[in-house]
Amino acid sequence: MNTTTYTADVRSRPEGPSGDGSQRPVTAIAVGPVSRGTALARTFRAEWTKLRTLRSTWITVGVSVAVSIGFALLNATSTVSEWADMSPKQRAEFDPTSSSLIGVLFAALIFGSLAVRTMTSEYSSGMIRVTFAAIAQRRRVIAAKASLIATIGFTVALASNLLAYFPSQQILRSKHIESSINDSGVVAALVLGAVSVAVVAVIGVGLGTILRRTALAITTLSLAIIGGQIVGLALPESARTYLPSSALQATVSVHRAADLLSAGRAVIVIVLYAAACYAAANLLVSRRDA
Amino acid sequence: MTPRGLIRTVIVMIEAQHLTKRYGDKFAVNDISFSVEPGVVTGFLGPNGAGKSTTMRMILGLDRPTSGDVVVNGRRYRDMTAPLREIGTLLDARAVEPGRTAANHLLWLAHSNGISARRVQEVLVTVGLADVADSRAGTFSLGMNQRLGIAAALLGDPPVLMFDEPINGLDPDGIIWIRNIMKSLAAEGRTVFLSSHLMSEMAQTADHLIVIARGRIIATGSVDEIVSANATPSVTVRSSDPDTLNERLVHAGAVTVRGLDGELSVSGLSSAVIGSIAHRADIPLTELSTHGASLEDAFLELTHESTDYRATVGASTGA
Repeated sequence: MNTTTYTADVRSRPEGPSGDGSQRPVTAIAVGPVSRGTALARTFRAEWTKLRTLRSTWITVGVSVAVSIGFALLNATSTVSEWADMSPKQRAEFDPTSSSLIGVLFAALIFGSLAVRTMTSEYSSGMIRVTFAAIAQRRRVIAAKASLIATIGFTVALASNLLAYFPSQQILRSKHIESSINDSGVVAALVLGAVSVAVVAVIGVGLGTILRRTALAITTLSLAIIGGQIVGLALPESARTYLPSSALQATVSVHRAADLLSAGRAVIVIVLYAAACYAAANLLVSRRDA
Repeated sequence: MTPRGLIRTVIVMIEAQHLTKRYGDKFAVNDISFSVEPGVVTGFLGPNGAGKSTTMRMILGLDRPTSGDVVVNGRRYRDMTAPLREIGTLLDARAVEPGRTAANHLLWLAHSNGISARRVQEVLVTVGLADVADSRAGTFSLGMNQRLGIAAALLGDPPVLMFDEPINGLDPDGIIWIRNIMKSLAAEGRTVFLSSHLMSEMAQTADHLIVIARGRIIATGSVDEIVSANATPSVTVRSSDPDTLNERLVHAGAVTVRGLDGELSVSGLSSAVIGSIAHRADIPLTELSTHGASLEDAFLELTHESTDYRATVGASTGA
């Protein structure tokens, strides 16, 4: 190898170049071959290394799985115990599938916040400058962060959906109110719920890039995901179904209430929110000073 | 695309032309042009707020110049796909994720520029952090973070290195270590550019200086050139009759400053002339010593008109 090595105990300067030495050509020495995959692939690899080397990433994954399963089982248990006291209307509106996929809202919030923090923590520590000095093409950094967390979010949410769905239906079976995986719309709910977690992760990276401050970006994200009732009060009923929180709920619903979009449309609505957010982030990140 | 073993031969340097950064109507950097050349340590000297960090951020493509241009090795930073191989930098040693270990911090940087993971261990040894490679950066002292930042700068074995205030907050051992590493990097033929507001440090580390104040370059040259052009040596005199001596010296054209115990700091006259004036006035001298001009004197002289917050000694009118 032709790499130079520097020694820790650097001797005092040898009679170095001076005077005429200032203009002499310098030999640049390679540190391994330059080309190790494309520049985009290198950015993905770097961002993946960043993510996996932080304990908080794995805590996030664990909390998301535990909360998703835990709330689904709690929901099923309380429904079973209260079933006898529920009104006919409540019973008619009960959706065994969405009740076991309530964790999607939590997973969206948890992965969305993780996504926000991958940007905002770098802005607050100043490490964003180290990142953008290492990877001068800033849009690649955002693309890598967004797609990595979206992929992790989708995978973890799909696994937790399955782990939440089956035991919950087992519990609901005692009242014969369970759904089956073969029922129409159930597989779609399991998958689209996970897709929406991935899409919210993209929104999180977008908001983190635009707002740059953790508290501000997470508050905004939380309002978007679970603030439907609060924000919705100010809006006409027809507009409320298009709020991100309502659309998110709609992706996992099988027995559709009148004020919810179809699952497919709901996913499209969330994707549009994410696209707008991501486009704004892309525009701002290359224009602003880091 | 450089094949293994091929050695490129290029002139490496940083070159800025009419670089300007304006925030509102305030110029952080005002139309500066300079080049930083290989083989020597070039110091970027100026008081705090002079525009040093802004200039460095523009070199790295982090801040967009209002006008003007800056290139590293002939290329704009934003056009580089593996910049760590071209220029290694340390802007802020605290800008690391505290929960990540030193080795992993360097590892993601290596991955981002397609640098072999073995290089991480190498630079950790170089900066003396091999023993704490697996400790979280959040547990490090400022000096250790500074070493980690230098390891990151060396990671891509770049021909150009740039450091913003690298000795801030270091203990004397750390300062000597950094000073030596800068000099040895330059001696290897690399371009080394470092900023500081500490004149004494620059005098000991840099060969060449770019002096900046209020966003403008006010001097460039070797340390010796800048000192000899901007500062004059002074002579300290003690005597039994400072008042009379002072009168005679001022009459002879000297500028004097009264110190404690009748000490006089004289500039504008050589010690030989001062001695003969005292002799003619029959004033016995108890001390006559010459002080060489320092970079500090030169710097104060240069920035006298450009320091934003100048102390106004003697400005009070008295009661």
